[in-house]
Amino acid sequence: MNDIVLQNVPTAAAEPASHRARTAGSQRVLPAVLGLPIFLWQAVFFAAPLVFLIVITFWQVKSFRLEPAFVLDNWERVLLSSPFQRALVHTLTLSCVTTLLALVIAFPAAYTIAFRLPARLRDLAVAALIVPIFSSYMLRIYAWQIVLSPEGLINNLLGRVGIEALPMLGGAFSLQIGLLTLTLPIAVLILVFALSGIDRTLIEAAENLGCRRSRVIAHVMLPAIRPALLLAATTTFLLAFGDYISPLFMTGSKPPTLSILVVDTVKSGSQWPRASVVGVAMLGVLAAVFGLGRWLGSRGTGKGH
Amino acid sequence: MSKPADHKPIVMPPATDLSRRGVLKAGLAASTLGTAALWNSADAADPKVLNYLSWPGNADPSIVGEFEKQYGVKIRIKEYVGGDQMMAVVNQSPPGTFDVVLADAEYMHLLKAADFIEPLDPADYPLKDLWPEFQKFPLHWFDGKLYGVMLDFGYLGLSYNTKAFTPKEVSSYSVMWSEKAKGKVGFFDWYLPSMGCISLSNGNRPPFDLDKAKFEALKKKMFSLKPQASGFYTIADIFSSMTNGRAQLIPGIGEWITLGLRTSGVPVDTIIPEEGGLQYTESLSIVKGTSKRDLARKFIQYSLTPRAQVAMATKVDNRKSIPSMPAWKLLNDTKPQEAKLLRMELKGPNVMDEYKAKKIQLRQLPKQQSIEDWNDLWSQFKSL
Repeated sequence: MNDIVLQNVPTAAAEPASHRARTAGSQRVLPAVLGLPIFLWQAVFFAAPLVFLIVITFWQVKSFRLEPAFVLDNWERVLLSSPFQRALVHTLTLSCVTTLLALVIAFPAAYTIAFRLPARLRDLAVAALIVPIFSSYMLRIYAWQIVLSPEGLINNLLGRVGIEALPMLGGAFSLQIGLLTLTLPIAVLILVFALSGIDRTLIEAAENLGCRRSRVIAHVMLPAIRPALLLAATTTFLLAFGDYISPLFMTGSKPPTLSILVVDTVKSGSQWPRASVVGVAMLGVLAAVFGLGRWLGSRGTGKGH
Repeated sequence: MSKPADHKPIVMPPATDLSRRGVLKAGLAASTLGTAALWNSADAADPKVLNYLSWPGNADPSIVGEFEKQYGVKIRIKEYVGGDQMMAVVNQSPPGTFDVVLADAEYMHLLKAADFIEPLDPADYPLKDLWPEFQKFPLHWFDGKLYGVMLDFGYLGLSYNTKAFTPKEVSSYSVMWSEKAKGKVGFFDWYLPSMGCISLSNGNRPPFDLDKAKFEALKKKMFSLKPQASGFYTIADIFSSMTNGRAQLIPGIGEWITLGLRTSGVPVDTIIPEEGGLQYTESLSIVKGTSKRDLARKFIQYSLTPRAQVAMATKVDNRKSIPSMPAWKLLNDTKPQEAKLLRMELKGPNVMDEYKAKKIQLRQLPKQQSIEDWNDLWSQFKSL
């Protein structure tokens, strides 16, 4: 088998047979060795827990104790319950809205950073987007609470000019603020890198041919960064869909999202099996969205041509 | 394939760790780690370590430091939040993991049913030092045997923003349905005290012993409250939502939250409305199977000494009422301002008045429905 492979490698002909065999062997072994840790990591910390998560959806809880069994009751109880159905609709809706808002806000910001700022300011802007990603999300949400609360910063300022306090904290507005705090820097960064990589000669050519800026954006830039747009949209959706902190601290669980439902279900009588059903359902939605993103991406890249 | 006559049966090795059951058990153990939080089993056997399962903050040096010094031991606390979580830890921990447990009294019968706590000798503890109302506290006794000793207690009623509402307005739970309270009613995200107060507002006494019709009425009453809801809060978020004004009325909490906030300048207070309030009680028990029974007994005895009781009552972040009369005297003698703030003055009105006036109902688990039924209703309410 090795010989056949070696015969097909033109440069190998001049090398000693033993050396060729070692090289071919190392070409196969080295990637396997280098790839093994991540494979093992994923197997131990992702695949195995995932299988276990699915398995315990069939278990039961007796006197707060998890017991191996095979019952379908957990699936039935969760999927048919109104709290789950409402949480699913609510979580899907808010994730879609967040994705849309993130893209609408992120594209102009990314465009400005990529094309309008001088190089030094562009680097600063990118750094300013990266830093929040590595700061505590929880602290950022607490900061928003201080800003948006009924007696917070904004309402205090409004009060000084005689305007009545606005109910900003505890509803869809504050929830989107929280979710965009999490997702927007990432969405902007993805688009900045994509826009920076566009072949500028294409833009110049379009402009030389008399295209207005809006036409250049619609017909040159957006198609060129389509995969990045899909990546930004998918990432935003996935982050918003699984977030626990903003729905809890910006709205007080009103209404609960699927993540909150998972925690509530565990808190209520240690119902790990039912919480796992919610978790598996969430993973199903995420897999579907991820698959949709890949499908849309592959259509754009012209696979199969 | 036929088997030769002299063929010895192949002896399979005993079920290995790779058996299906083994894998499941390993998985179960892994999930237990999540709740048992990597408890060090070496400490379970160490005679110099007292393993204490408790609500947070109860092994603070200001409370247990003297005991540790006196007996040359270390208290190792495993903290939980909420009775359900406590029961989960109990059920998922091997025997001997803990020596002492602090539980809300309404969970004691579940601890007994799980065979987790052992009977105590009443003569070992200064029960006669407790207020007479608490000397034979019903939730501590089963079949004439004592299983727990009261450490502290408190009342839950209606907490409110004193800038937004007057004491007169909040004298009834009905204020929660008022136009003024729309979008301002916060909830402690725990079904038991929250639903208990709504049940009281529906005239149910006791509030947790409801027949089918009363439970249905409770559901209707709860659901009618949803438009008033500001949110459902964790303990940490209750503090912030009361401080920033997001929640201006919260049923089912008490001075254990508002007293600390008030001393920090936040305009809040707690009232026991005319429909009544709830009492929570934290109790200490010895865990069955402990190898440190004597140390556990001494710890409970220590916790009932006046000094330890006063330390518990005056915890800065979580002030509580205490049941020991000598401790009340010590508090009045040494910290009269705290005694006044805590309404534990020996002369004049004090926290025992509401109890004596029978305005207080014990917080208990549901009598006629399962915990699950009440939890499910709470989830439905939240998702409306």
